[in-house]
Amino acid sequence: MRRTAVAATALALCATLAATSCSSSSSSSKGGGTFTAILTQIDSKAPINPYNQSTNSFRGYNAMMLGWSKNTATDPNKFYPAIAKSWELSPDGTKLTVHIQPNAKWSDGKPVTGDDLKLSAAVAYAEGGSAFAAIPGTAGGTVDVKVIDDKTVEFDQNATKPLNTWFANVMTMYVLPAHVWSAQVPSDIWDTIHTALTGSAADAKTAQDTITALGKKLIGWGPDKDVSAGPFTLTRVTTSEALLTKNKNFYDADKIAPSQVVIKNYQDNSTIVNLLLKGEIDGSVYVAVSQSQLDKILAVKGNQVVSGASPVQASLVFNESKKPFDNVHVRRGLAYLIDRAQVTKVGESSSGKASPYPAGLTAAQIQGWGVSTSGLNAYSVDTAKAATEFQQAGLKQAGGKWTLPDGKPFTVPIQTTSDFNDWTSGASNVAAQLQAAGVDAKVTASSDYATYLADLAAGKFTVSWWLTALGPSAYNIYQRLYGAANGWTLGTGGGVAHSAAGQSGNWMGEAESADVSGLGTVNPGELTNQLSQVPPDQQKQIVAKLAAFTNDQVPAIAMWDYVNQNFVNTNRFTGFPPNDADVLRQPQGVWMQLGYIKAKAK
Amino acid sequence: MVTAVEIPTGNTPALTPARRGFWRNLWRVLRRKPTRVAGAVIVALFVVMGVVGPFLYPANLPTDPGNAYAGPSGSHLLGTDFQGTDVLALLVTGSRYVLVAAVIAAACTVVVGTGIGLYAGYRRGGPDSVLMRITDFIITIPGLPLLLVLSTLWKYSNPLTMGLVLGVTGWGSVARAVRSQTLSLRERGFIEAARGLGLSTAHVVRKELLPNVAPYVAMNLLISVTVYIYLEVGLFFLGVLPFNENNWGVMISQAVQNGVTQTGQGLAYLLSPLVAILLLTLGIVLLVDAMDEVFNPRLRED
Repeated sequence: MRRTAVAATALALCATLAATSCSSSSSSSKGGGTFTAILTQIDSKAPINPYNQSTNSFRGYNAMMLGWSKNTATDPNKFYPAIAKSWELSPDGTKLTVHIQPNAKWSDGKPVTGDDLKLSAAVAYAEGGSAFAAIPGTAGGTVDVKVIDDKTVEFDQNATKPLNTWFANVMTMYVLPAHVWSAQVPSDIWDTIHTALTGSAADAKTAQDTITALGKKLIGWGPDKDVSAGPFTLTRVTTSEALLTKNKNFYDADKIAPSQVVIKNYQDNSTIVNLLLKGEIDGSVYVAVSQSQLDKILAVKGNQVVSGASPVQASLVFNESKKPFDNVHVRRGLAYLIDRAQVTKVGESSSGKASPYPAGLTAAQIQGWGVSTSGLNAYSVDTAKAATEFQQAGLKQAGGKWTLPDGKPFTVPIQTTSDFNDWTSGASNVAAQLQAAGVDAKVTASSDYATYLADLAAGKFTVSWWLTALGPSAYNIYQRLYGAANGWTLGTGGGVAHSAAGQSGNWMGEAESADVSGLGTVNPGELTNQLSQVPPDQQKQIVAKLAAFTNDQVPAIAMWDYVNQNFVNTNRFTGFPPNDADVLRQPQGVWMQLGYIKAKAK
Repeated sequence: MVTAVEIPTGNTPALTPARRGFWRNLWRVLRRKPTRVAGAVIVALFVVMGVVGPFLYPANLPTDPGNAYAGPSGSHLLGTDFQGTDVLALLVTGSRYVLVAAVIAAACTVVVGTGIGLYAGYRRGGPDSVLMRITDFIITIPGLPLLLVLSTLWKYSNPLTMGLVLGVTGWGSVARAVRSQTLSLRERGFIEAARGLGLSTAHVVRKELLPNVAPYVAMNLLISVTVYIYLEVGLFFLGVLPFNENNWGVMISQAVQNGVTQTGQGLAYLLSPLVAILLLTLGIVLLVDAMDEVFNPRLRED
């Protein structure tokens, strides 16, 4: 019943995604105390390794990146300083010079240097980061990392195939202590990387295999004792919580108010709500709750909610390899039958807003990218228009029920997962609305999200729930609809290739191109790929085109835009970020680094 | 000496008196204790609910999201659910799946378990060894985990599938118990006499042994219904099964997931299926008491 996990997962998918300035009363950054947070699932056996999926390296607390993304709707390259105090990006976007915080030290007292960044980049290559692919000619790939001096490092992008996503991908690189990790990494790793990138075909292949094997080895490794450059270090971890202690060597230690942080295990929604009802949580990541739960939580002394835009949307997506959903008129007809406001009210009443247009963008993204809504169809409920669309698809109505051209019942099997209650509730409402309109809709829930994703990728579902609009970059947003899941994969040369439905992970099965009135023949995968290569003003035009295409072709019906809703408690700490602050999309550890969260004066 | 044997003809209603005797006997047993009558009434009500109830409501129950989690009122006797659907309607329409699946599962358990138990116990030797090893295997299979695994393969979209899966995995203990009773019975004089008369195995099993194990079997049939209701509702509650049917387990699951236990809002939505399960269990337990006496002459008080 991890309803909350929908958005938590979504935020994790948003690469660097993770409050009313609650009080202006006197506060102190040196007040100490224990800050209790909900962040992620805790695994006591997991390594202290940020690349491991089950990790005890918590972003913003004891795991640091070069910078913290602001996740701005239209500019993914906006960052707050982290280990990088400042940086310069060359005008052509291919050279990034990073200046390390002059006072940055590891928790064991050793300084953070350029060598740490170089070692971190090597590990990133081993783990296959998008900016660190050890494949020759990779578009948007890093081709070299140079240590200029102890506090300055230069990253070079593949100048022949640059991508505008490269900068953000480099800035979100985890910074690891070289003196701890170097024993795990061969001393000639950079020779291997250079061979993989520039060697002869045979040598490059051997080098790539070596790097892949290293990645497999490193992913399961972690030091016995945490050595962190972040504001906290891991002291101990149990099955229910992790205890982190303030790192006195942190470069901005004065800004960090709590002496300790307890991160409670993100077990399920019910557990979190119970903790919130007890007033025990000082700060939680996104938690989706029903309106009655929200009222109850806010009635607890000190509890407050701070919320902001979230680049995440819940949508019903079609597998167009299954008939009759390959017919655009069927998809449009269904869009006309579903009252999205009602679905949102049932599924995500407190932390969702009905999506205004099925266009692959949240309302905030439509506004941010300046997409004209005059040309977009809102698909307001209209049974007459739905009937027209269905009839154009050859469907027939008999006795109030819609049937396929061959007379068989028109059935809409909707798949969701029991893990996400907002999806199951929303799906039930969609089914009820379609049934009332004479469409035989059925809802089935997979037992857990992992199974759901596996079956989804295997193309087993016909109509299923899917997170869309996952920003912040325009490329990421539309890559969700017109990426690998729909058959378009990025080639190393910077172009895209399209696979047929059912192959190479294509479970959405959309046609490679479609004719759209006013747009002509559009290949959405190619357009999406261009988003990663062109400057912002051109991106704007492409976004508008893709929005119009998506709105016309309806590969997915956007139900609601998530609201990034964080719970905080002002009994022990104050000075939380205000509503709509971009930092809300980062964990509370980052809030602290940026000067938010102060101990409440007693 | 010639012994005249009267053979019933096809037109003679030979079983009618026996059947009449059963129902008359049942009625007499029920009347002896008011609790038994109460049990029979409760079970009858649920049977009627499962058979007739769904016809009283439209196939697609209306929703009213503006009236979600409403408390009991004149228009909604048991309140409403998360999308404003009448809980009483959900309870009534949801009863059929639960009851049909449980009855099929119980019938499957009793038929398979009794058949194997009787045959193994009477024949002994090789067939007994083979059947009991199979039975042991079935008993050792952890039921709930197996069902969880099977749920990834089957969608249990209808009660027949659900009932069969539950029944096929649950007959082991009945088979063992019936076999034990059969082993004891086969040494009794009347069985030896039947064998001495050269009566067939089928005849001995059906006509001599089965009536003697019938009380146990009948009790198991009823008790199994409650066990299987718990099991299937539990599976739906855990959310591992599709919830495309109105179902008591789905109701409980949705109520809990929507925070009813934390906020108290929509409590009737949560309590209704729970009370229904409780009432049905109570009814069956009370009825078992009566059935025990009906099937077991030694318990009769008159």
